[in-house]
Amino acid sequence: MRYRVGALALLAVAAWLLPYQLNLYAVHVVDVAIVFALLAVGLGLAMGVAGQINLAQIAFFGVGAYTTAILTTRAGLGFWPAAVLAILAASLTGLLVGLPALRVQSHYLGIVTLGLALAFINWITNAAVAGGAEGISAIPVPPLFGIDLSSEYLYYYLELIAFAVALAFGLFVVRTPLGRRMRAMRDDPLAAAAIGTEIPLLRMTAFVLASVYGGLAGILYAGLIRYVAPETFSIGNMFLLLAMVIIGGRRSLVGCVVGAIGLSLIREALADFATSAQLAYGIVVVLTVVFAPTGLAGIPARVRDALRRRRGHSIASAALQPFQPFDPAPGAGAARAAVPVLEIRHVSMRFRGLKALDDVTLTVTAGEIRGIVGPNGSGKTTLFNVVSGLYRATAGQVLLDGRVVSGIRPYQLSSLGVARTFQNLRLFANLTVGENLLVALDRTRTWSIWRYALWQVGVWRQDRELRRQADDLAARFGLAGFAEASPGALPYGIQRRIEIARAMASSPRLLLLDEPAAGLNGEEVRQLAEIVRSIRDSGVTVVLIEHNMGLVMSLCERVTVLASGAVIAEGTPAEVAGTPAVVEAYLGDSTIMPAPPPIATQVTR
Amino acid sequence: MQVFFQTLVGGLSLGAIYALVAMGFSLVYRTMGLVNFAHADVVTIGAYVASTFYISARLPFVVAMAVAIVVTALIGVVIERVLRPLENKDFDLMLIGTIGFGIVLQALAVMVWGATGRAVPSPIRTAPLDVFGVHIRTYDLVVLAVAAGAMVALVQFLQRTKRGAAMQAVAMDHEAATAVGIHVGRSNAIAFSIGAGLAALAGGLAGPLLYVSPTMGASLGIKGFAAAILGGFGSLPGAIIGGPAIGVLDAFAAGRFQGYSELVTFLVFTAIIMIRPTGIFGERTVNRA
Repeated sequence: MRYRVGALALLAVAAWLLPYQLNLYAVHVVDVAIVFALLAVGLGLAMGVAGQINLAQIAFFGVGAYTTAILTTRAGLGFWPAAVLAILAASLTGLLVGLPALRVQSHYLGIVTLGLALAFINWITNAAVAGGAEGISAIPVPPLFGIDLSSEYLYYYLELIAFAVALAFGLFVVRTPLGRRMRAMRDDPLAAAAIGTEIPLLRMTAFVLASVYGGLAGILYAGLIRYVAPETFSIGNMFLLLAMVIIGGRRSLVGCVVGAIGLSLIREALADFATSAQLAYGIVVVLTVVFAPTGLAGIPARVRDALRRRRGHSIASAALQPFQPFDPAPGAGAARAAVPVLEIRHVSMRFRGLKALDDVTLTVTAGEIRGIVGPNGSGKTTLFNVVSGLYRATAGQVLLDGRVVSGIRPYQLSSLGVARTFQNLRLFANLTVGENLLVALDRTRTWSIWRYALWQVGVWRQDRELRRQADDLAARFGLAGFAEASPGALPYGIQRRIEIARAMASSPRLLLLDEPAAGLNGEEVRQLAEIVRSIRDSGVTVVLIEHNMGLVMSLCERVTVLASGAVIAEGTPAEVAGTPAVVEAYLGDSTIMPAPPPIATQVTR
Repeated sequence: MQVFFQTLVGGLSLGAIYALVAMGFSLVYRTMGLVNFAHADVVTIGAYVASTFYISARLPFVVAMAVAIVVTALIGVVIERVLRPLENKDFDLMLIGTIGFGIVLQALAVMVWGATGRAVPSPIRTAPLDVFGVHIRTYDLVVLAVAAGAMVALVQFLQRTKRGAAMQAVAMDHEAATAVGIHVGRSNAIAFSIGAGLAALAGGLAGPLLYVSPTMGASLGIKGFAAAILGGFGSLPGAIIGGPAIGVLDAFAAGRFQGYSELVTFLVFTAIIMIRPTGIFGERTVNRA
C-alpha cells in the first residue's frame, strides 16, 4: 500500500513536470494521446467491465466534439455552457445506442453499435449544420480564469486534471458495488439476475458511462484542436481505439490507458508509414486475442501464476474451515404452522413440441425441507427455472407467500426473497470468492447509483459495510481463507459451498438448491446436510433437487416425485419410496425416456 | 412507373450481390456461432484480385473470378486456423480477432493496390435490353444468374454431400459432432473458406457495377449483414430473401434521401433488430451468441 502511494506520487510529479521536457509538437502529441486515453477508459468500462460490445465509442466522442463546436460557433454559446450541453447530448446518445443491448448481445450488439456509428458518420458528412466534409473551424479557446488555454502547454494541465479525475472515478466505480455488479453481469448474466441484478438497467448504465467519457473526450478535443471534421470520427479510428483497449487489456482501466497512450505515441512516430502501422497493429490485435486475451495488463498476473506453478505452490493452500451454524430463528422447528410459502398451481411449460412440465401442482410450507426427485429429464430443473423467473410458464401460476409471482423478472424474485443455486455451478469466474459474495450481499436497487454522481462518500461507506458482512459470511461458511482466490481454481466441493453461501448472502426466505450434492464425497455430503438443516432452522424454507437418495431420505420431510414433467407421488420419503409408480419411473418397464430439458443457458432474457 | 421499375431492377442486381455477402456471413455463423467482421474486407480483396487479373493480366473475367475465389478461400482458411484456439470458448474475443484480421486485410489492400480506387469495365458490352421502356443491362442479368447458381450449388452441397451434412451437424451441436467423429476444426475451415469464396464472388461481380476501392467492402459488408439479419441470421433462405429486400430498400432510399440514405438504412436496420432479432426465417436455437 505504501509503495503504491509512493509510486502514484512519483507518477503525478512526473506527469506534472513532463511538459518542461517537451517541445511544442511533442506536447501536442501528448495532448491528443490523453484524449484517446479518456476514450479508452470509457470503452473499457463498457466492454471490459460490463461486457457490452460497443463499437460506437467514436460516435460518443463525435457527439461531444460536434455539440461543442456547433453550440459555440453557430449558437454563440460560451465554451463551458456548450460543454455541459455536450455531455448531456453524449449521454442521451449513449442511452439511444444502449437500447439495442436490451434485446441483443455479443455479435449482434457489435454490429448494431457499428451501424449506429456509421449512421452518425453519415450524418456529420452530409448535414449543413455540421459543416459537411469540411467540418467546423474557429471553435473559441476555452476561457479559464484568465489562463491562456490556446497554449498547448497550459492545455496539457487542464487535460491532465480532467483525466486524473475521470480515471479515479472509473477505478472507484470498478471497485465498488456498481462495478462489481457489472463484472458479475459480464461473467454470467443469468446468475447475476438470479441474485438480484437488474440486468437491463445495468446495461444502459454501462453505455451511459461510456458515452460520458466519450463526450468528455470530445469536449477536450474540440477545445484543443478547435476544429472538427468527419475524418477524426471514422470507423478506422474506432478500430484503432478498440485495438488500444484490447492490447492494453480490456478488463483493466489502467491497461486501457497504457494501450491508448502507447498506441497513440507509436502511431505518431510511424505517421509516415501509416499503412504499415495499421497492418502492424492489426496483427498485434489478432496475436493478443489468441495468446494474451487479458492484454498487457494481464501479463503480470500470468507471470505470477506461472512462477507459482513452477515452484509447486497450490493456489488453494488455505484449508476449508468447518461451517458455523446459523442462529436458529425463534419458534422455528417447534411451531410448524402450515403456512404455504411456495405454491405452484397447474404449471405447464412447453418448448415447442416438448412438454417439459405438465400441470404441476405442489405446495411447500414454511420451514420445510422439500425434496424433488425424479429420473433425468423429468422436468425438475425446468420447475426451478420457472419458480426463479428464468422461464415464463406456458400455463399456471406460481405464488410466493400467497402473492402471484409468475412472469416477473428474476431480480424481482430475488428481492422478494427467492435464492437459488445451479446444477452446473454458475460462479462469477473472473471475480474473487469474496467478490462473489459481495455482489449478492448488496441489496440496494440499481437506481441508487445516483450516489456515484453526487454522494461518493455514501458509496464508499456502503462498500465498507458490505465488505464487513462478506467477511462474516465467508467465516460462517468456513471460506475465510479463500476470499482472494479465483473460484475456478478451487476444488469442486468448495465451489459448491461458495454457491450456497452466495445464495444465502441475499438473506432469502426460500432457497432452491439444484443438485447440491452432485460431485461431493461422503464427508462433504454430510457437511452439506448439516448446512441445509442449519439454514432451515434459521427460518428459511428449502427446496432441493437431488439424486443422492440417502441425502433426500435423511434430510427431507416431504418428497415430490416428478416423471415426464408430471407429479407422480408426494409424501414422506418412506411413503414415496414404496409407491409403485415411483418404482416404475425409476426402474421402469415402460419406456419413459423423454429428452433432457433444455439447459438454462438457452434462455435469452 | 418507369422510374419505379428502373429503381427496382437496379436494386435487385445489387441485392443479389448483398445476398451472396449475406450467405457468407450466415454460413460461418451457423457453423461456428461467429459473425466474421473481416468478411467485408475479404469482399474488398476479392474485388481487387478479380479486377487485377481481369484488367492487368487480361485474363477472361471468369478465370479472374476463379483466381479471386481461390485467393480469398485461402485467406478464410488462415483466419479460421489462427482463431481456432478460441472456438467455442470466447465468442467476444473471436469477434475482436476477426476485426483485427479486417484491419490487416484493409491495410494489405492499400499497400498492394493503393488508396485510390479503380473502375472496372463491364465484361459484357452488348446494348442494354429495353423492356417496356425499362433499361436492363445484360450484366445485371448475368449477376442475377451467377448469384442464383451459387445459391443452388451451396444448398445442394449442404444437403446432398457427406461433407455438407457434417457441416450441418457441427452447426447443430459441435460436441455431438465431435463424438461421432467429425473433425470440427476442418469443417469450420471449409465453412470459412466457402464464406470467403462467396465474398470474392460478390466483390468480383460488384466490381463493374460499383467502383473498386479499399472501402467498397465496408459498405457491401454492412448491407450484406443487414440482409442476413433481415432474413434471419444463420438461415440461407433468409439470406437469399434478405439480399434483394435490402437492395431494393437501398435503391429507393438512395432515390429519396440522397446523401442520408445510409443513415436511413442503418436506422431501419437497428429498428428491425430491436423488434425481431431473429429475422424472418431465424430460429431461436440458432442464436448461440
